[in-house]
Amino acid sequence: MNFSSFGYLIKEGFKNIWSNRMMSLASVGVLISCLILTGSAIMLSVNVSTIVASVGDSNVTTVYLDDDITELEAVYIGKTLSGIENVTDATFYPKDEAILAYKDVLGEEVFVNMSGDDNPLPHAYHIVMADLSLYDQTVEKLLSVDGVNSVSSRSDVAEKLTSLNTLVTMMSFWIVLALAIISLFIISNTIRMTMFSHRFEISIMKSVGATDSFVRIPFVIEGIIIGLVSAGISVGALILLYDAVIKAVQNILPFEYVPFTDVMWFIIIAFVAAGVLVGALGSLLSIRKYLKQEGNEILGW
Amino acid sequence: MIEFRNVSKTYSNGTHALDNVNLSVDKGEFVFIVGASGAGKSTFLKLIMHEETPSSGAIIVNDMHLEKIKRRKVPYLRRTMGIVFQDFRLIGKMSVYDNVAFAMRCIGKKGKTIKKRVPYILDLVGLKDKAHNKPSELSGGEQQRVSLARALVNNPAMIIADEPTGNIDPEMSYEIIELLSEINKRGTTVLVVTHEHELVESFNKRVVRIEGGRVVHDSKDDDTMIAI
Repeated sequence: MNFSSFGYLIKEGFKNIWSNRMMSLASVGVLISCLILTGSAIMLSVNVSTIVASVGDSNVTTVYLDDDITELEAVYIGKTLSGIENVTDATFYPKDEAILAYKDVLGEEVFVNMSGDDNPLPHAYHIVMADLSLYDQTVEKLLSVDGVNSVSSRSDVAEKLTSLNTLVTMMSFWIVLALAIISLFIISNTIRMTMFSHRFEISIMKSVGATDSFVRIPFVIEGIIIGLVSAGISVGALILLYDAVIKAVQNILPFEYVPFTDVMWFIIIAFVAAGVLVGALGSLLSIRKYLKQEGNEILGW
Repeated sequence: MIEFRNVSKTYSNGTHALDNVNLSVDKGEFVFIVGASGAGKSTFLKLIMHEETPSSGAIIVNDMHLEKIKRRKVPYLRRTMGIVFQDFRLIGKMSVYDNVAFAMRCIGKKGKTIKKRVPYILDLVGLKDKAHNKPSELSGGEQQRVSLARALVNNPAMIIADEPTGNIDPEMSYEIIELLSEINKRGTTVLVVTHEHELVESFNKRVVRIEGGRVVHDSKDDDTMIAI
């Protein structure tokens, strides 16, 4: 194999794609949907783990008081709370303040009739603990204080997010696996069609003494090109999609998201590798049959 | 060059195509293989090209034992032979030049070598002026000459022509055999399978007749007998 015949084979690969463009397009489409789905799962996972990490680090626990506790009673309870072992700080978080925070996020209209005594939220305390390993014991003590209704730590959120992340990862794993098999199948079919339309050339190639790899290369290149084009489009589409989703979510719930540029190279490399692998594998699968046949068998005569 | 030792071929459907064939063709010979259709001529060629493997016996072509040749060696066996088909087997969308160049590209020849070699071969078969025509614009005889040019371009030790005159006019047929004879004179072994008696008779060459899967007559034996 020398350089000029390699150039020739690459050119043949491109020609194959063009002469079989509808099926090539279908292959690219399926591969793109597979890659975008994988990419979305990755981005979700990356963000969730970042959030979980940041939430897990902060040791702020919210203690909600009973609904009927007045502000004055709350101040007394606060003193008891700060006296508890392992509690270094107890900041009062009045319900008026809590509802204001909700109003900021959800809009004024929802809370028209909920000010003053009609406020449905309870008073609360933000507790900071000295030693998080004593978390469970401390929460028990907090709960035993009269007037304390419940303790909601933000690690609950972390836990829920983590289990959601696991669920999403599991689901996307199976979906991606199914889609990968489908794309493999479609690509190998696409290339089988190109090969069928080139069976005459293949029979001549074999009769003049072309090696198996020489016969194979244009079709493998066809598969790789399909893979590369799909990877390129998928990266672009994922950037746009991620941007749109982040914007929409930020409107409802502002959070520290992972910028796409942080994972861009990982995504690009993973997509290109996956595209090339699926493309090459798909073509190798379909060409085996032709390489085994001889002479007129190839032509079906 | 070609040697068949007790070669039999039975296809999986039970057809006995060749039955204990013994035959040898020396380097530089010109041999006609004749016989009715179904006599076993195509099986004979397929065995030489290793498109089929013998059921029993040994086949040696250009020092390669075909009954036990490795799959990856087969392309190199085929590079030692140029094949001319009855139906030309030219690629319709390629020009005459590209059809011939294709055979060189397939075995990884450099572009520079191809550019030098193809015009030389086209000139040899008398098609220099038709290099940029499509095969469909040529007569049957001309198309067969393109096919012959393609078979010759990689400079094989032998040319195998399977009914090369089957699809062309009688006068053109004569020309094609004449051309093959010219090539033979330059040292290339030539094997021509045909059923056209008149054509065979007008050339004084070795004739091997196959019938019912057996070699029933070899003109080389006649010569030997006469010599005795």
